[in-house]
Amino acid sequence: MRIGLVSSAVPLIRGGGRFIVDWLAAELRRRGHEVEVIFIPTADDPETLLVQMAALQAMEFGDAFDRVITFRPPAHVIRHPNKVCWFIHHVRVFYDLWDTRYRPVPDNAHFRALRATLMEADTAALKEARLLFSNSQVVADRVDRYNGLKAEVLYPPVFEPERFRSGGYGEEIVSVCRLEHHKRQHLLIEALSMTRTPVRLRLCGASFGDDYVASLQETARRLDLEDRVVIDARWIEEEEKVAALETALASAYAPLDEDSYGYPTLEAAHARRCTITVSDSGGVPEFVQDGVNGVVVAPEPEALAEAFDRLYADRALAARLGAAAHDRIGALGVDWDTVVSRLLA
Amino acid sequence: MKVLVLTTRVPFIHGGAEELRDHLVANLIRHGVDAEAMSIPFTWNPAERLLDEMWVARSIHVTNADRVIALKFPAYLVPHHNKVLWVLHQYRQAYDLWDAGQSNIPDTPRGLEIRQMITGADDRAFAEAQAVYAGSPVSQQRLRRYNGLEVPVLPAPLNDPELFTGGPMDGYIFAGGRVGNAKRQKLLVRALQHAPGVRLVIAGPPESPGEADELRRLAAELGVESRVTLDLRFLTRPELATLVNNATAGVYIPFDEDSVGYVTMEAFQAGKPVITTTDSGGVLEIVKHEETGLVAEPTPEALGAAFRALSIPAKAASLGKAAQQLLEARELTWPATIARLLS
Repeated sequence: MRIGLVSSAVPLIRGGGRFIVDWLAAELRRRGHEVEVIFIPTADDPETLLVQMAALQAMEFGDAFDRVITFRPPAHVIRHPNKVCWFIHHVRVFYDLWDTRYRPVPDNAHFRALRATLMEADTAALKEARLLFSNSQVVADRVDRYNGLKAEVLYPPVFEPERFRSGGYGEEIVSVCRLEHHKRQHLLIEALSMTRTPVRLRLCGASFGDDYVASLQETARRLDLEDRVVIDARWIEEEEKVAALETALASAYAPLDEDSYGYPTLEAAHARRCTITVSDSGGVPEFVQDGVNGVVVAPEPEALAEAFDRLYADRALAARLGAAAHDRIGALGVDWDTVVSRLLA
Repeated sequence: MKVLVLTTRVPFIHGGAEELRDHLVANLIRHGVDAEAMSIPFTWNPAERLLDEMWVARSIHVTNADRVIALKFPAYLVPHHNKVLWVLHQYRQAYDLWDAGQSNIPDTPRGLEIRQMITGADDRAFAEAQAVYAGSPVSQQRLRRYNGLEVPVLPAPLNDPELFTGGPMDGYIFAGGRVGNAKRQKLLVRALQHAPGVRLVIAGPPESPGEADELRRLAAELGVESRVTLDLRFLTRPELATLVNNATAGVYIPFDEDSVGYVTMEAFQAGKPVITTTDSGGVLEIVKHEETGLVAEPTPEALGAAFRALSIPAKAASLGKAAQQLLEARELTWPATIARLLS
């Protein structure tokens, strides 16, 4: 099949929204399909959002593709007789974040009208799709609530999961994730200061801004944790990630209200490490079940510290939860065969 | 510094323009800047569609890039405050192909309006750019003639100069490139008659399947078949480089070529002089008689004399060295090209 993968992207920013496209392209090619990846440059700018959407809608793909799969908004508005949307999130500031401090525009008549127009355009575009998928239950629920449509949950796998290795359960809680305020690595450092065991913490990942990294370093210094926490603020190569997880005690991932369970959770599970997360992390509990294949606690440093200590003191528990996390991947059907067969159905 | 390379694409087509785009990005990264390419889809039928395409390009918003390098219509219409155009393709059906009667734009009042919209949008894009470069002398002439714009040519450099290291002279003259009438390999075979003892190696993809037989028959007729080696197929880059590196000199005699030609640049990079002819067009920009090679009349006799002259190793070596230096001096290298595009 000739397949076009179309997504939007801010130039020169690499992240999960790109990986899902590039990885799917590789998996489709491996299965004998002809694939073209098209990233359209877009700006995260509320004022020009509708014009950008109209431009995407006016794009013409001729008869080059038997099927087109879209990902990040507003790519879902493109027109193709055989369009499949794998919808990974809304423009959230106009949806669920409207009534929060993340809303970047005033709540006035102009922007309320823009919001309504956007929602209507999104609904119409998603309705045009021959098949509609989301990357998590959280996003499927939002599509239902705001657009009145049913999206089938199709969990995105990681690339070449067989690369991950599982060794002994060491002394270090690992977090491989971009260092950003909403990923809340500061909560993990604060938790470390309240532990009673010598458990260690490793935070690795690149950051968009230096400020947050500096504040993490400052917090570690202030809490006198510099010998127990490693802050590796840079792009982490895949093999480094595999090595860090191989001997970790567990993985920690405590973002604020993420759309999906997140690649860090899945990568840890492939390495047979459980994930420690928090109850307000959004989609993470879709994967992590407390006491079954991971730990879910209140978003408080004390509660996280207690979880760190519990796993440090009981390596058998870390191993048991890690093995169950690995089983969870299969139970949720997070694999490329499932993804490809659903997207091409 | 962050650089976005913008161009257009036709799905599943991968040709010279796509190769150039990819090498441009690779060389930008090698230069130490953060770079990537994005290619927007482009369709042009029916002609009315061209207006939508231009509107789409004008409506795209680019952020997080300090500079945009745009290569083709209509991608170079995308607005950006710091945009450099390296014009590989205008929409030729609104320009020279229109004049030649080979356009999909109808010759009607409406067609003329569409054409006016295209040339007008181009003019505006050129005016708002920080700099405009033409990808070839032909593009340069087109911009001059139709858009009244005087811009420098920035030719596409050799993509893999590291392969062309030079090497021992094995005593043959090498004729690379596509094999067919426009490249006049038959004339090379005839020239051998007038160059006793000189060996010629012709290697490259044939334009038609009969090409090899014709050349072989001609060589046999002229009694030079023992001195001609034919390898008519698509050679891998390392295979090609080996043939260039071990030659004593190169020969390249296309008729009225647009550009200096990759064949010429490959030979020069390897420190080999090139024999060309007085009617070879763009090749003459860098092949200078008795400086970086020899320029002969397009006759078997004159070419035969040139073959004999460049079969003398000392002579070939000294012209070859000058040829290699000229590539550097003319900035026909990726580092120099990147520096121009970022200046």
